[in-house]
Amino acid sequence: MPDIPVTADPGETPGGTADAAMAVDLTAAPAAAAADVPPEILAQSLGQYLRAWWRRVRGGDSGVLPVVLAIVVVAISFQVANPAFLSAQNLVNLFEQSSIYMLLAMAEIFALLLGEIDLSVGLVMGLGSVVVAELVQPTGLNWPWWAAIIVTLLACAAWGAFQGSLVARLRMPSFIVTLGGLLILQGVAIIVLKGALVSIGNSRFTNELVLYDIFWGQFEPVVGWILLAVVVGATGTGLWLRDARKRRHGLEAPPRSLTAMKIVLMAVAGSAVVAICNVNRAHFGTIEGVPYIIPIVLAVLAAWTVLLQRIRFGRYVYAIGGNPEAARRAGVSLPNVRTWGFVLAALTAGIAGVLFASWQVSLTTNIIKSANSYVLLAVAAAVIGGTSLFGGRGKTIHGVLGGLVIGAIYNGLYLLGVSSWWIDVVVAGVLLAAVAIDVLSRRGAPRQA
Amino acid sequence: MTVDPGGTPDGPADTAMAVDLTAAPVAAAADVPPELLAQSLGQYLRAWWRRVRSGDSGVLPVVLGMVVVAIIFEIITPEHAFLRPSNLVYIFGLSTVYMVLAMAETVVLLLGEIDLSVGAVALFGGVVAFKLVQQPGPGWPWWAAMLAALAICGLVGAFTGTLTARLRIPSFVVTLGMFLLFSGILVVVLGGANGAVSASPLVPNQRVFYDLVQGLIPPVVAWVALAVVVGAVGTALWRRAAARRRQGLVAPPASLTAIRIVRVAVVLICTINRGTPLVAVQGVPWVIPIVLVVLAALTVLLQRTRFGRYVYAVGGNPEAARRAGVSLAAIRTWAFALCSATAGLGGILLGSFFFGQYSTNTADPGQLVLYCVAAAVIGGVSLFGGRGKPIHGVLGGLLIGAIAYGVSLLSLGQLATPLQYIVPGVVLIVAVLVDVLSRRGSGSGTRA
Repeated sequence: MPDIPVTADPGETPGGTADAAMAVDLTAAPAAAAADVPPEILAQSLGQYLRAWWRRVRGGDSGVLPVVLAIVVVAISFQVANPAFLSAQNLVNLFEQSSIYMLLAMAEIFALLLGEIDLSVGLVMGLGSVVVAELVQPTGLNWPWWAAIIVTLLACAAWGAFQGSLVARLRMPSFIVTLGGLLILQGVAIIVLKGALVSIGNSRFTNELVLYDIFWGQFEPVVGWILLAVVVGATGTGLWLRDARKRRHGLEAPPRSLTAMKIVLMAVAGSAVVAICNVNRAHFGTIEGVPYIIPIVLAVLAAWTVLLQRIRFGRYVYAIGGNPEAARRAGVSLPNVRTWGFVLAALTAGIAGVLFASWQVSLTTNIIKSANSYVLLAVAAAVIGGTSLFGGRGKTIHGVLGGLVIGAIYNGLYLLGVSSWWIDVVVAGVLLAAVAIDVLSRRGAPRQA
Repeated sequence: MTVDPGGTPDGPADTAMAVDLTAAPVAAAADVPPELLAQSLGQYLRAWWRRVRSGDSGVLPVVLGMVVVAIIFEIITPEHAFLRPSNLVYIFGLSTVYMVLAMAETVVLLLGEIDLSVGAVALFGGVVAFKLVQQPGPGWPWWAAMLAALAICGLVGAFTGTLTARLRIPSFVVTLGMFLLFSGILVVVLGGANGAVSASPLVPNQRVFYDLVQGLIPPVVAWVALAVVVGAVGTALWRRAAARRRQGLVAPPASLTAIRIVRVAVVLICTINRGTPLVAVQGVPWVIPIVLVVLAALTVLLQRTRFGRYVYAVGGNPEAARRAGVSLAAIRTWAFALCSATAGLGGILLGSFFFGQYSTNTADPGQLVLYCVAAAVIGGVSLFGGRGKPIHGVLGGLLIGAIAYGVSLLSLGQLATPLQYIVPGVVLIVAVLVDVLSRRGSGSGTRA
């Protein structure tokens, strides 16, 4: 081995830029070590917590703040333009519409966190909706609804495994694989549809009725309150106990006042949702109560949050998205984690597919084709929510919030009588703006240029 | 001293180099096109074969693919109708749109970027051009309308390019947004979901647009033009090669230049006498010289000018290009502008192909993009930048057009619609798969 020159070390140059970025960071946040640690872990009082949080926001890592602000701005502007926007009736309607965007955005986040993209989620949803509807047809296979849903989800996951393998093992660019994949799926969905119309709207058959109710059904008002009490009680107790245990063991934990505030906030928000949902929103007759899709979306959100934030697989996903080479050298199997990421994306899109079938009631070739346009909305929702396109940064909750923004824009513009192509133009503008903000905030942040 | 962090990435590159060395005995020759070193036809063919085997196969796969596709469709289409002259001309008309769009896409792919908005921008450009020549309306002369449309598309591309080049937003996201944006704007310009615009063959000014694909050059004129073109191009090629040989520069053997001249002639002759006996449709469609002119212009731009060399340099290794003093942002922005302007021309051709009718249902911009990306990649343009030529877009476009039309000729009943989606999807994935695998085998790029 030849002598390594001392003065010109090829490994030095990247280090130099990283040092410079670090120096900038030091001036912004006095405690250098605190830069990578969430402020709630270090803060000992509510005041400290808020100050630390504000410092983090100013440092470019703003979390859900922008999207929450966006929701407020969108809501106020549409409310000014049309007082019907914030009516209880429209809010439930808005949430129902947004649920599809939310699920697809949560699906997309698995790919985005890995630094990949999945352009096929829209048509995985389309395929899933056709498959589930065909399986329960009384004149056809006549499967029970639960078997149909399970098989649909498995089929979607299998497709995700196929695409994921091409991306992960052959290192084909993910946007090309999923672009080709969505074309194939479109064809397959039309084949499954047999060129005809398939409907699940016949309430004489239990299986069709259950599928129909997934989107259109709701709990009794009383049941909604009971559920809320149970959920808030269980989550609140869990949260409180966990923080108390951490504090007892001398681990870093958020201040007590903060934990209490979180629980109260959860209860207030939950009560507001249930109260709004319990208003009668039918033009004739009575439709009131919490729609089933709200707990469905929350369950998916909870499951994927646990998966990504609490277990090893989730940590590997973030590790790969942050720096694949570092993850590989740390012993993470890139092909496996990437493939599973695509499987989970397709699986979530399959759940959206079941909802989509329930929402549309009757599926035709044109509806399947239109499913494709949801991809852009899903990407937009995820990025607006705060997920980075470059991998390693984002949470499942971002998909839910971003989906709400997209749904609100669609719903609001629709209420104002804006035609659908102008809505497309607005959403495209929102997508570009969100991505530009993502890029610029990433540039400002010290982590990676 | 033993553990050098910089050493690890070099490991795989070394082994790839070793494999390459066994394949090509002359190591230095691996990067030089064989026609530059060969001194006789036999040497040229051997060098070419060696290059094909080492993974850098040029246009060979797409030409083979075309032959295979032609044979298969000729066998399986009802009444063996695929290779009828009328069908061949129809395929060519259909393919010209893909060819022009694929050439547009090639410019951006060479940079290692992608433009998913070419379909929407092309339709937008076509509609703008058609709108501008409407008689109760702007009533612009056709050339002004065409120039204006291309300029507007170029501006759109410059905007896309600026977002990509200066903000470094991933190009597929920017162009995905632009795709959505212009799919919407397209409908707005057309005047609503039921809007339509047409170029009538009865109005002289609009007839130019109608004739771009539908119009035919009279056979006699075509022969004269052919003779002039072959004569001019042939003389130029021959004299250039002779001059190089005289000056002692490396030059292809004389027999090869002769073959090239013949090839130009064959390409043109094949497209002339194909009138069907019943309907006297004779003559070369105007679109053939148009495509050839676009091809020639882009080839000169990319292969002979400094801008072209910079495009290849940026695509091959952006960091190296930057350190060599190339302005990445400027090159990227210009490439996107060029891509969109070329796409605008494709949009005008598309309107002409559909008999001068433009409506919201004329073409699906999303499908157009997929076809043209697939065409470029099938033709031999790499998705990873730095590798490909405009001619690849033309050949790939022809192959895609042949497949698309061949599938529609089959009487498939219910499977016809789904296959319109499945076939290009499979073709796209397979083409990229080949690109990825051949790149891996060639050892020229180590980017994962």
